[in-house]
Amino acid sequence: MRTSLNEIKLIDEHLFNQGDTGDKLLFNAMLIIDNGLADKIGLQKKTHAIIRQYSRKKLKAEIEAVHHKLFNEAGHRTFRQKIMSFFSKQ
Amino acid sequence: MNQVELGKNNLGYYNCDKKIIYMVQQINFGNTPADREKAFMMLYKKAFPAVAKYVSKMGGSFDEAKDVFQDALVIFYEKTVNTPMVLHTGEQAYLLGIAKHLWSKRFREIILHSPGDIQADFIEEDELQFSQNKLMHYLETAGQKCMEILKAFYYDNLKLPAIAGRFGYVSERSATVQKYKCMEKVRETIKQQSLAYEDFVE
Repeated sequence: MRTSLNEIKLIDEHLFNQGDTGDKLLFNAMLIIDNGLADKIGLQKKTHAIIRQYSRKKLKAEIEAVHHKLFNEAGHRTFRQKIMSFFSKQ
Repeated sequence: MNQVELGKNNLGYYNCDKKIIYMVQQINFGNTPADREKAFMMLYKKAFPAVAKYVSKMGGSFDEAKDVFQDALVIFYEKTVNTPMVLHTGEQAYLLGIAKHLWSKRFREIILHSPGDIQADFIEEDELQFSQNKLMHYLETAGQKCMEILKAFYYDNLKLPAIAGRFGYVSERSATVQKYKCMEKVRETIKQQSLAYEDFVE
């Protein structure tokens, strides 16, 4: 794996608190030597936040598709009626 | 019969004085969107009636019950895939618990935020939201394959063989290398986007 990809792997291990004591010491030493590393860590953290945001959006779309099936397909009429009965009494 | 058909995997029973005290269960969301659809369908049928009944009792609408339940499902999914969770109460009671918590949180927020506060928040977030939406749109279109790989690794927490199989990689090693290449690509896109945003606001 090329150097830049290895660096991404090491940053991931740092962010998720993985790796043994030796790896952690080495990474801390790299942080002192490499001036740009702290910025890369910040950026990778931001990337993880974006991945989570993207994934949640996709998951919500999958859940919405299930909801659509349950409230529109003929096979789920009894379920639908049961749910709607709670709100018709309001 | 596989686990997805069942929607859950019963891990065992604890028996004491011939009485079953509680059942230990673990839901299985599988590896593909089709597996997840089956699991969500099962959870919807099992747990949504109790949540809808509760929200209705509290004076909420059908749409509010739907929103609260869907958010509860997202929380449930994230907890289940990230830490092997053992439920002692059954997923119905667990989801109802999350939904009740979300409902009271929602109610508190409405009371605490005066219309003035909400408007100020919106103005501050407006520019940032515009920049984020642009980035998300780009990642959903040009970078979709990479985002799906990263989602499978980091969010769905799928195992390497499942990821290699799903995305057509010959080995687990190739899948791992691709993950880091994608991380590099997306990270660079975010960096460029951040720089452009800084130029815009300065």
